[in-house]
Amino acid sequence: MRTALRPTLVRHEVILAAVLLIEWFYFYFTATSEKRGITFGFGALDSQFDLLRHSVEIGLLALAVTPIILTGGIDLSLGSTLGLCSIVFGKLWQDAGAPLWLAGLLTIVVGGLAGTINAGLIAKLRLPPLIVTLGTFSLFRGLAEALTRGTATYTGFPSSFLLLGQGRIAGLPTQGWLYLLVTIVIWLLIHRTVFGRTLRAIGFSSEGARYAGIPVNRRIAAVYVFAGIIAALAGIIYTSRLGQAKADAGTGYELYAITAVVLGGTSIFGGTGSVHGTILGVAAIAVLTKGLVYARQPQEVGGILTGALLLLALLASTFAKSTFYRTRTAKTLTAPPQPKLP
Amino acid sequence: MKTTLPRELPLVLALVLVFGLLALVAPEFFDRKPLMSRFAQEAPVLIVAAGTSLVIIVRQIDISVGSQFAVSGIVAGMLASYGAGVATCAAGALGAGLLMGAINGLCVATLRLPSIVVTLATMVIWREALRLTQQGQFINLPSGFQWFGLTLESGQMIQISAALALFSLLAWFASNVSAGRFIYAVGSDAEAARLSGIPPRITTFAAFVLLGGLCGIAAFMNALQTPQVDPKSGTGLEMKVIAASVVGGIAINGGRGRLWGAFLGLLLLTTISPALTYLHVEAYWEKAVQGSIILLAVIAETIRTRRV
Repeated sequence: MRTALRPTLVRHEVILAAVLLIEWFYFYFTATSEKRGITFGFGALDSQFDLLRHSVEIGLLALAVTPIILTGGIDLSLGSTLGLCSIVFGKLWQDAGAPLWLAGLLTIVVGGLAGTINAGLIAKLRLPPLIVTLGTFSLFRGLAEALTRGTATYTGFPSSFLLLGQGRIAGLPTQGWLYLLVTIVIWLLIHRTVFGRTLRAIGFSSEGARYAGIPVNRRIAAVYVFAGIIAALAGIIYTSRLGQAKADAGTGYELYAITAVVLGGTSIFGGTGSVHGTILGVAAIAVLTKGLVYARQPQEVGGILTGALLLLALLASTFAKSTFYRTRTAKTLTAPPQPKLP
Repeated sequence: MKTTLPRELPLVLALVLVFGLLALVAPEFFDRKPLMSRFAQEAPVLIVAAGTSLVIIVRQIDISVGSQFAVSGIVAGMLASYGAGVATCAAGALGAGLLMGAINGLCVATLRLPSIVVTLATMVIWREALRLTQQGQFINLPSGFQWFGLTLESGQMIQISAALALFSLLAWFASNVSAGRFIYAVGSDAEAARLSGIPPRITTFAAFVLLGGLCGIAAFMNALQTPQVDPKSGTGLEMKVIAASVVGGIAINGGRGRLWGAFLGLLLLTTISPALTYLHVEAYWEKAVQGSIILLAVIAETIRTRRV
């Protein structure tokens, strides 16, 4: 049921933050060991940085898809866009001999173009986003494979570039700073600007938003183009972290990103949700999967628990909403109009 | 809004074009043996595509079919390795599929959770549970198992005809049986369906269970084709069958489209990659071409409906 009403008792994000803290402390106390004053396992600083490095790319995609889901859309093509951008970056640098800054800039443009294709089909032609992005999911991955003939990878990047994915600035992994920057920008955009409010309005009721004078198509187009640009950035970071550009980069990332967004309390039907929820969702999944590895549990358990957590989060938010909905507004909203007798 | 042209028309034209081109340039494409093995390979996919189409018509979506397919296949393989007969294995795969379909159906129809998220979660859960128990190990099947112990040729023939028969049955069911029409009614307007006495929840639940069962049957058929069962089988199957349905003119908003459209859609999507090889285009373009076909299909659909 689509509703803009918030659950009254506790906000979704607060529960999720509590889950995240419990997870973190559980692994901190069970999966950390100390030898001669050096910490090993989950609690070690290096492990925490490793966790951050691994969650940045999925985190960026999740941040990119949050505004899209807020408008009631979806984007399955972001993982493929990431792969395509990784290849384009490698090809520009190695085959075309472009300097790194130019290759990066052009890659961002390519990501924007990929987003523009989605935007054009969804906003201009009014095609369903699920199908359009399913099509571009194949198309972009296919282009990446065609560009590399399925096998070629690009390696041998200079160490100045690898600093982005493997080095540190001021103590934190370099991409962590970028992640923070993008998070702040998107948070401000969604929660503190009129633009962000119009996205929720569109997700809640696109027809109503149109009557309120919101340029619905332009707004929808903007979020898809924006998502393409962020996916390109994630592609460059991926390339730098692995020191390798390859066509299968980011396979399946779109689903992880969507999982994190929904776990973070954003409604898949649009209208409600938050950026900090998404960040918490990404972190909860990352801590769970990485923590289990440090706790010497099979990696697959992390996947199973993530799926279960997603179902639970969904159930919790649905029940919180439907209880509220039933008690306060059931009569006025669900009673069908009675026909008048002559 | 009156539409005179059938919704599958652009698709039929595309198929005629591809097959015509192949007949002219590469008649060896129609050689019996490679064609048979290609169709036999796609026979299980066709079964899953039929079920997926029904779920899309009822206005839901299921992206967990690949995982259901893999789990059912492993169940059949395990039963076979314990010495069970062919019929028991088939029943095991079918049962596993029905059970997983029922879980999806319960979450969507009874608990009213959004199907895309539910099946995203079950997709991950089944796939990871399988990886945990199998650790990527293949299951070897007993020697008499492959193609029912028949020759390759007759085994392929049986599978292709069985798949076609089951598909025809489902297509007939969807368009001629009242329970099949319920699916269309609920998909086009659940509230109107409810007011006319059709139970939307039961119909939705049944569509998911049916899809699960079909995944089980398809997985069993797939297991018969190889000497081993691959725990990674069915990866990406969900995208393939959804693409086939959409290319076949089944509306993602539910309520519209014919199962035979999905058949033609799958035919086009699977002919494309061998066709590319025969037409001397590099095979690496396969995915890009398939993606373009999906996009062209939805664009053609809007042009068709807005023109009239």
